[in-house]
Amino acid sequence: MNYIVHILIIINIYVILTISANLVIGMVRMLSLGQAALYGIGAYLSVFALMTLKLPLEAVAIFVMLGTSIASLLVAYPSLRLRGDYFVLATLGFQSIVFAILYNWIPVTKGPYGISGIPAPKLFGILQISGNVSFLLFSSVAAIVTIGFFYYLIHSPFGRVLKGIRDDELAVMSLGRNVTAFKIWAFILSSAFTGLAGMIFATYISYIDPTSFGLDESIFILAAVLIGGVGNLRGPAIGAVFVVLLPETLRFVGLPDYVAANLRQIIYGLALILLMRYRPQGLAGDYQIQ
Amino acid sequence: MLLQLMLNGLVIGSCYALVSLGFALVYNTTRIFHIGYSVLFMCCPYFVLFFMRFFHFPFFAAFVISIVLTILLSMAMELIVYQPLRRKRSSLDVMMVSSIGIMIIVLNLISLLFGNETQILNTNISKSVSLFGLIITTTQIIQLSVNMILIFAFAGFLKYSNFGLRARAMRDDETLFTIFGNNINLSRLSLFAASGFLAAVGGGLIAYDVGMDPYVGMPIFLVSVVALIIGGVGRFEAPVIGGFIIGLLQSIAVWSFSARWNDAITFSLLILFLLFRPRGLMGEKKRLA
Repeated sequence: MNYIVHILIIINIYVILTISANLVIGMVRMLSLGQAALYGIGAYLSVFALMTLKLPLEAVAIFVMLGTSIASLLVAYPSLRLRGDYFVLATLGFQSIVFAILYNWIPVTKGPYGISGIPAPKLFGILQISGNVSFLLFSSVAAIVTIGFFYYLIHSPFGRVLKGIRDDELAVMSLGRNVTAFKIWAFILSSAFTGLAGMIFATYISYIDPTSFGLDESIFILAAVLIGGVGNLRGPAIGAVFVVLLPETLRFVGLPDYVAANLRQIIYGLALILLMRYRPQGLAGDYQIQ
Repeated sequence: MLLQLMLNGLVIGSCYALVSLGFALVYNTTRIFHIGYSVLFMCCPYFVLFFMRFFHFPFFAAFVISIVLTILLSMAMELIVYQPLRRKRSSLDVMMVSSIGIMIIVLNLISLLFGNETQILNTNISKSVSLFGLIITTTQIIQLSVNMILIFAFAGFLKYSNFGLRARAMRDDETLFTIFGNNINLSRLSLFAASGFLAAVGGGLIAYDVGMDPYVGMPIFLVSVVALIIGGVGRFEAPVIGGFIIGLLQSIAVWSFSARWNDAITFSLLILFLLFRPRGLMGEKKRLA
């Protein structure tokens, strides 16, 4: 039972990650390989806020979301003016630089040794969130808030302009909208929630190290979004559920551990190739990446 | 000291230049961001390992067979994944995502079959030779000479031959290219084959020097991408220059800071170029927005 709760918490975290990534990848159609870097920045910022600044949980959340947004401006502002593949490169560069900083700046981030003993958060200063079930409630509330926020966003005029940019950027520009500004806002909002997911991850696992936030994780999030489908909210959520549950189902087949890890990745890779070829809208998405 | 660093940088730079050229061969012509390329120079040494361990071939024979196999693998990537997508007129984003899929599959297959530990191809320690007071190992000499010969041969070939002309024409306009009677599928296949050849040789030489594990592909691939951007997209000599620059830079950086910051420095260079000179040092003036 405990294990199922753990899986559900991880699903919640990845739902937040994929739905926020969807704003950039699905709505604006800019493939970002830097999501894990923002995830990591959120996690480390939350640790800093919790352990060094000793802020209460609500302040930590706001601090993390603001901090991650500002960090994302570093990559958003220069690269959103560039064309598709150059944007991917810039996010790739951002991801690698952030990883290198997290891994090597040992005095601050403790590098590969990781930071352990992250305290469990206290809601409103009194309700201690510890133990799996309360974390499940906490993460589910966060996921629901995220879903609600992005639902509102996608169905708002802002979301409509984003969809327009996705379909025909030039047309939106000719109608007088500042396309770059919209893209930057999409990036800021998306990274705020990605950072929030980092905070939940850090407080749940109570140990973080840079290897959870590398290029592999970025590719993993990207794959989750694309496999599930982009453009709506169902797609990324289903993608998150798929990529989290798949290794668990493999577990029941009874493969030896090292085989299972590689096989799982092979299945993700195959899913990507097959979906791109035969079903570009993913499992449940709205928009075909074509 | 500086001269020694520059010599080391030159050798590493020549390896980077070679693999960058291979990547540029595909990217400049078909515009596919071929992430699958990152596994090619990791596969060749593993093929060598396979033939040396299980069939007891001598190194050179195993190397030749592995080069052929890597070329076939590269062509298979085009045939199985990219060509059907091109027929569907898929966008470049789709091709890039599919190439990520290729990379994941091949990388994990190798990891499954051979494990994640670093494997060594050459169990001897290379002899060092003193050259004008600088030290260079025999392996490095082989690397440098083979790389330089191949780079000059390929660069010259691409610049002055009919094949190179067709490759550049393919980039400009695929439809016109086909209208003039060129077989685009065959041309693309041959480009992928050539790219596979360069990756195989480059990867094989690097692995002969420092060994390999399934994950060496990505860092070298990222370096070749950065080399391409720095040098300038569109010209085939450009990634070569970029490769040498990065090699020298890394060599000096290892001495000044520490090897851990290598990646960060390479990518900071990339970001700087993307911000201030996106067309690279030698690229054509193009709209990038």
